[in-house]
Amino acid sequence: MRAFGNRPLIITMAMCVLAFLYLPILVMMLFSFNDSQYTGLPFNGFTLDWYRQVFADTRLLKSIWNSIYVAGGVVMLSVLFGLPAAIALDRYEFPGKGLFRRIVMLPIVLPGIITGIALLGFYLVIHMRLSLYTIMLGQGTALMCITITEVFARLQQLGKSQMEAAVNLGANEWEVFRHVILPAVRSALAGAMLIAFSISFDEIAVTFLLTGRENTLPMTLWSLLRREVTPEVNAVATLVVLMSVILIVVGMYASRGQAATPREN
Amino acid sequence: MSSIALSAGENAKTIRSARRLDRRRMLFWVVPPVAWFTVFMLIPYAMLLYTSLGRVEDMRFIPGLSLRNFIQVFTVDPYLSVIIKSARIGLMTAVLSAIVAYPLSFFLAFHVRSSRLKFLIYLLVIVPWWASYLVKAYAWKTILGSGGILNALLQKAGLTDEPVRIFLYNEFSVVVTLTYIFTPFAVLSIYAQLERIPTSLIEAARNLGAGGWMIFWRIIAPISVPGVVAGGIITFSLAFGDFVAPVLVGGPDSVMISNIVINLLGVAFDWPMAAAIGLVIITLGLLLISASGWLEEKTQIRF
Repeated sequence: MRAFGNRPLIITMAMCVLAFLYLPILVMMLFSFNDSQYTGLPFNGFTLDWYRQVFADTRLLKSIWNSIYVAGGVVMLSVLFGLPAAIALDRYEFPGKGLFRRIVMLPIVLPGIITGIALLGFYLVIHMRLSLYTIMLGQGTALMCITITEVFARLQQLGKSQMEAAVNLGANEWEVFRHVILPAVRSALAGAMLIAFSISFDEIAVTFLLTGRENTLPMTLWSLLRREVTPEVNAVATLVVLMSVILIVVGMYASRGQAATPREN
Repeated sequence: MSSIALSAGENAKTIRSARRLDRRRMLFWVVPPVAWFTVFMLIPYAMLLYTSLGRVEDMRFIPGLSLRNFIQVFTVDPYLSVIIKSARIGLMTAVLSAIVAYPLSFFLAFHVRSSRLKFLIYLLVIVPWWASYLVKAYAWKTILGSGGILNALLQKAGLTDEPVRIFLYNEFSVVVTLTYIFTPFAVLSIYAQLERIPTSLIEAARNLGAGGWMIFWRIIAPISVPGVVAGGIITFSLAFGDFVAPVLVGGPDSVMISNIVINLLGVAFDWPMAAAIGLVIITLGLLLISASGWLEEKTQIRF
């Protein structure tokens, strides 16, 4: 028997925590249907006007598309450079490895603003115009650690013996990668890609300083929230939540049974 | 004899060529990521250092080799006090979200038997973590505000006649909002650690006559420390560097360090000062990474 302690009490507490997690989101969703200019009580009646307004707002729709575009680029970058980094950290001893490992992890503990000013200064010096691509490079750098840590952890579990066996049997580097490494890390990589996509889609701190004329969705929401507060924001947020739910559920089911899901004891 | 010597020479040659091959393979995996982080992190940080040693006059950058900005970070108000305040808010957020997260992680790890239900609750924890960060902060504004839901409920219950204003626009609301935002993260981190505890350990303790509290304090709590610490370090860092919550739900006194940096760049055009603050925080971040690695090693228990 794994369970111990006062079960009713534990269940009650856990349900309270879940309620705490969901209440604000439900409140926000509720007010996206409220027939009132202002987010707050009383509830005047049901309307879909705010959703209509969202779908009529080309600036908002454009920024949603921009966010998807940037997040897609970030995922691509983090696979292209994060996967080799994980393999390098797992397999080889190279000069500066300790420093490299720390530098890679740094964006996790660093405020996004700091990553932002460092890159902004760099862009200014090399005369790079701010655009969606500068955001992509910034977020890609900041979020690469997710792919690296996830894939690295999986490679450590895998150990070296399978790779050595493959090499002994005459496999070249590509074959080792294709038939040993890739199948082993596939689910970890998929999970990391999903996480990177969703964080990038929602990222504001790094983006804040690196954004050019075109904005991502969080930046557009930010300016909306700071100027006028309309339930339109609630409607966009509800749509974003629904989209992420679909994305997570699909992703989680796709990688079910792997390390990303709870292990059974 | 000669054939043996020959084969030894050949052997050495194959070993050498194998080493060369291995080196080539290594470079293939090592060079691209190292180059990436050199260009997009090390060089920008080095330039940050160069900038921080200069100064600004009439909105123009003048290079220099002065430590004046670093001295100012530690001596001139409000820099140091805001860094300390941000750290305090980060710490409160980390502690509160661990406290809030623990019961749910505990429930998930020990009291959910069916794997289907476990998967479902796991999903329920992840979904709020992925919901738009800005909107979650904004939702608390609509809950805590003077026209908000909390006040409406309090007034309906007859506990107060007029809206209570102390809920919003202060440090309290910033900490509540940040705690809310980072709790799912703490749940996942603590749960991952609790899930590793073998059932046999609990059964053994029970067979030896330990009660629920004793099992918890003597076995579960010590083992869960690394999960709490790992989650706490990330929660602390994210809350420390936050600049959204202070603007949306904070008051005039809850400005945090990221807001100061933004103001230095956007309003004062004082790049050198912003760079100096950035470098101080980068140093603190590196220390935090080393400390967390050390802590994890010290507290992790292998089964």
